[in-house]
Amino acid sequence: MERGGFSFDNCVRNAMLESAGYQPPKARKTGTTICGVIFEGGVVLGADTRATSGNVVFEKNCEKIHYIAPNIYCCGAGTAADTENTTGLIASQLELHRLSTGRESRVITSLTMLKQMLFKYQGHVSAALVLGGVDLKGPHLYTVYPHGSSDSLPYVTMGSGSLAAMAVFEANYKDNLTEEEAKLLVKQAISAGIFNDLGSGGNVNLCVIKKGKTEVIKGYAQENPRKYRRPAGYSFPTGTTSVLESKFQRPVSEIAVVTEVVSESVSMET
Amino acid sequence: MSILEYNGGCVVAMAGKECVAIAADRRLGIQLQTLACDANRVFRMHDKLFLGLTGLMTDITSLHNSFDFKLNMYSMREGRLMSPQTFSSLVASTLYEKRFGPYFSEPVIAGLNKDNTPFLCAMDLLGAAAYADDFVVSGTCAESLFGTCETFYRPDLGPDDLFETISQAMLSALDRDCISGWGVTVHIITPEGVTAKSLKARMD
Amino acid sequence: MDSIIALTGDGFVMCAADMTNARSIVVMKEDMDKIMELDRHRLLCMAGEPGDVAQFTEYVQKNVHLYQLRTGVSQSTRAIANFTRNELAKSLRKNPYSVNLLLGGYDQHDGPEVFYLDYLGTLHKMPFSAQGYCAYFILATLDRYYKPNMSEQEALEVMRKAIDEVRIRFLIKQPDFLIKVVDKNGIRTVSK
Repeated sequence: MERGGFSFDNCVRNAMLESAGYQPPKARKTGTTICGVIFEGGVVLGADTRATSGNVVFEKNCEKIHYIAPNIYCCGAGTAADTENTTGLIASQLELHRLSTGRESRVITSLTMLKQMLFKYQGHVSAALVLGGVDLKGPHLYTVYPHGSSDSLPYVTMGSGSLAAMAVFEANYKDNLTEEEAKLLVKQAISAGIFNDLGSGGNVNLCVIKKGKTEVIKGYAQENPRKYRRPAGYSFPTGTTSVLESKFQRPVSEIAVVTEVVSESVSMET
Repeated sequence: MSILEYNGGCVVAMAGKECVAIAADRRLGIQLQTLACDANRVFRMHDKLFLGLTGLMTDITSLHNSFDFKLNMYSMREGRLMSPQTFSSLVASTLYEKRFGPYFSEPVIAGLNKDNTPFLCAMDLLGAAAYADDFVVSGTCAESLFGTCETFYRPDLGPDDLFETISQAMLSALDRDCISGWGVTVHIITPEGVTAKSLKARMD
Repeated sequence: MDSIIALTGDGFVMCAADMTNARSIVVMKEDMDKIMELDRHRLLCMAGEPGDVAQFTEYVQKNVHLYQLRTGVSQSTRAIANFTRNELAKSLRKNPYSVNLLLGGYDQHDGPEVFYLDYLGTLHKMPFSAQGYCAYFILATLDRYYKPNMSEQEALEVMRKAIDEVRIRFLIKQPDFLIKVVDKNGIRTVSK
């Protein structure tokens, strides 16, 4: 039976296909602007909501702020499948750890787990993360790079829109922000990414983590609402499409007849 | 040519009011040569759960067999049918398991939850899931399908209107793609049952 | 450069394959049988790398025989096709076989069936099919002249038309074709 973890079965076949001249397909990436900032008593994480597949926007409103623990959240940039599965894996491991220790998880624990996993795969798992949370030692904010290094800073940005967001941070950050100031600052940084980076777009999602309380705000700001839509819409009268054949099938549960069989009592003989 | 374009094909799924529809073309080709016009890309997993797969046909067959097997084992062990949400997790982890040597197939999952609300999900070949409440697309003419669906879609359509909308979106997009087409099947899934319709389409 | 063709008729499957065995610019032999008999009612037409073809098709043949010995029942054509596809798909990821096949068989319940099976593991049931470069000519010819449930005489005519097309238009000289027919009575050779 399967043991879990990565399986490398297809690699030989895929290499053969590639040498035959077929380009491997592009996986979905999150172009992304993600950022985080520490304020007085907590952390605010922010992310845009666009997922791209090549040059096409695959999802206009995707969730990039992933749950790690009740007091720890992680924004992910890079290959979408990698960020989702890496954060999901570490979240599960942390839950088991919490059950085992009986204590609230510490941010440094999740950081170490993420770093060690990403380093193990030498950067092939393409996940660039902004990890933030509040534990008994106070608020923490880290960035984790795909090759397994990390930084601990009061304000961080990652993703293709990180330069735009960092520009906003560098101009406006000060120590000991209030919660409202921090939320506004993050929103401005993500907006800078949405407007100036082509790989980022959609809404601004925020996550505010304070001691004992976490709040995920979806759609804190909707920067580019769709304005132009044909008011009448397009409606096709029934019968527009020519149908060759049509078959209707009722659900199996309605077709199958279930009868209860009451068997005579069977006595066990020892 | 990309590996995902070797056999051609596309799938789209749309949500309506207590119903979902999933449509796929029927072409099976070897690059630009057409082999058959009756390939099946949409598979019924159970009465309220359909899976559409695009990409390399051999991987479509392998994945479908694998999911059928896993779903049957689940039904036997648990004594109940798998919910669409659980199934999408199963598909995602099956695909991600082959992260460094992936299956060349991009699935679309369409189903009805227990309370008959629609469920839609599309994934890339690595298993990154995108959930939507309007429509999801996959395949060689995905970009055209995005365009037509974005334009034609309206929320809360009934089964008949949903059928017309998804069919027109599919047929329009297929006209602009050489390696998809040659017929369309549409499945409309409602709490009362599933209607399978085969459309009259341009055979080129 | 192998040319293999298979089509279904009224209660039979007709398979044809060229008989040339060539390597690079040299013709090795002109009487090679590329249609393997898997069991009494199944034919496997093979095309591709000579070594892979010989190895893989013999493997399939022996496994079909083994199943029959173990269970006392012959597998259906569809079951054999799926078994072969699984073997191709499994080995594709480890040690790919460069083999393209057409499986034709007569089944008690399902009647005559032709399955197209390529080296990637793409399996598709079709009324008629062809593998190789010749497919470009043959599929078009068969699209025009094939009718479902033809008699053997009519099928032979259509097959002749297709083979003539290959002879005229295909770059490689393939003078001889071997035609085999499988129906409820078994396998017969109708040589060309």
